[in-house]
Amino acid sequence: MSSSRLLGAVCALTACIGFGSNKALAVGVPAGTDITNTAEVTYAVGATTATTISNAVVVKVAEILDVAVTRQSPANTAVSASSTQQEIVFTVTNTGNGPEAFRLVMDSAIGADDFDPTPASPSIYFDTDASGDLSPGDTPYTPGTNDPLLNRDTSVTVLVVNDIPATVVDGNVGITRLTADARTGSGTSGTIFAGQGASGTDAVVGLSGALAFGTGQYQVGGVTVTAVKSQTVVDQFGGSRPLPTARINYTVTVQAVGTGNAANTVFSDDIPANTTYVPGTLRLNSTLLSDTAADDAGEFSSTPGPHVRVALGTLNQASGTQTIQFAVTIN
Amino acid sequence: MIKGNLKVLGVVALMACAFGSQAFAQAQGCIVLKSTAETEKEVVNDKGEKSKVLVPAGKIVPGTEVIWTVTANNICKQPSDKVTINNPVPEHMTLVPNSAFGPGSDVTYSVDGQKFAPAGQLTVLENGAARPARADEYKHIRWVFKSALQPGASAFARFRAVLN
Repeated sequence: MSSSRLLGAVCALTACIGFGSNKALAVGVPAGTDITNTAEVTYAVGATTATTISNAVVVKVAEILDVAVTRQSPANTAVSASSTQQEIVFTVTNTGNGPEAFRLVMDSAIGADDFDPTPASPSIYFDTDASGDLSPGDTPYTPGTNDPLLNRDTSVTVLVVNDIPATVVDGNVGITRLTADARTGSGTSGTIFAGQGASGTDAVVGLSGALAFGTGQYQVGGVTVTAVKSQTVVDQFGGSRPLPTARINYTVTVQAVGTGNAANTVFSDDIPANTTYVPGTLRLNSTLLSDTAADDAGEFSSTPGPHVRVALGTLNQASGTQTIQFAVTIN
Repeated sequence: MIKGNLKVLGVVALMACAFGSQAFAQAQGCIVLKSTAETEKEVVNDKGEKSKVLVPAGKIVPGTEVIWTVTANNICKQPSDKVTINNPVPEHMTLVPNSAFGPGSDVTYSVDGQKFAPAGQLTVLENGAARPARADEYKHIRWVFKSALQPGASAFARFRAVLN
């Protein structure tokens, strides 16, 4: 499941910020594994008992192409006008079941913000020294040359680096985005790339479309609203595997930090693709909210896409943490 | 004279041996067992009606449900009694609850391959205490057919499992 599917947004002072999922769903059996079945029958003919073994049926596990991009930086990265080399940290995770190379693309010309950050040159780095920020030891990324090759369920930390224009004023926000897609191919879930998977098996595009993006936001001075999302999966067997019909419980904490007020703060989160909202599960600070619009702070709506929305009003540092909860089931 | 007697005895012993193994080989070959793996595929006909058909499972991805079918065919001229099919749940797969069935058979399950019991009657030890086993902990399935399998007849057993 990609972060693009789990994308949420917090809106304050008319500006919206997106945030990615904090955790990729687990991968399955490794690509190329042989699943073998042999049955046995015992029986009697007269006084003689006998045993027969069946043929061994072998089914090969194909490679599923999936990726997740998760922002590690806070929802807002505080910057000042004319500051340079401002990084936002992302994690790119191979959520498929085989080794795969991923292409990385950054984009800072995104609407719904106050300014476009200026991509630095180079604008994407690997956090080679694992410092969590841009430092001299970090390796720049060159598409097609050092595309990260990730084994299943492993990730790489990537820094997206922008300069901040001189013209911005306090409170302005600018959004940047990191996109990762599988080199083997991406597109509609279920698309098959015959023979191109691990161990010569087929590669199949997973639920993420083998493409995911994460967004991050720079905010100039002022008050900063952050949102942190977490999830727990409960499957029908009492475990935590993301199987069809499994339930995902989401918890999002929203907090205002800094000076001043974030007026008309609105939390909005899209219901992830291939999941269905569980009616009557939207809560704010443990209080149940109705799914209907206008009767209280919360609502669930199917237009333009399925999403939940909670009006948080004016938030400032004294407001403390606001906790929003809702649940979905995997289709 | 003594030598000659010994020779005759030796031949008789050989013949007895040959008869015994022939009878054993006949019983041994009476049931041919075949296992197949299939997945459900949705097809749409000319009228736009959707239906599901079974297609051979070649390559599958995690989350795929596989339908495993075991067919036992009696190719002898005598009926076979006490026909019992055993099938472990394949490695890396999770049994779909209540999916095992076989016409004319009693289905039991096992967690350890030793103790078999109907669904819901198995227990596992957790922290020293017994608790009911979950369906995903069933690792073996057994079908015991209530009637003899007549010459030329087939019995089949089926279950569904999801690739982890």
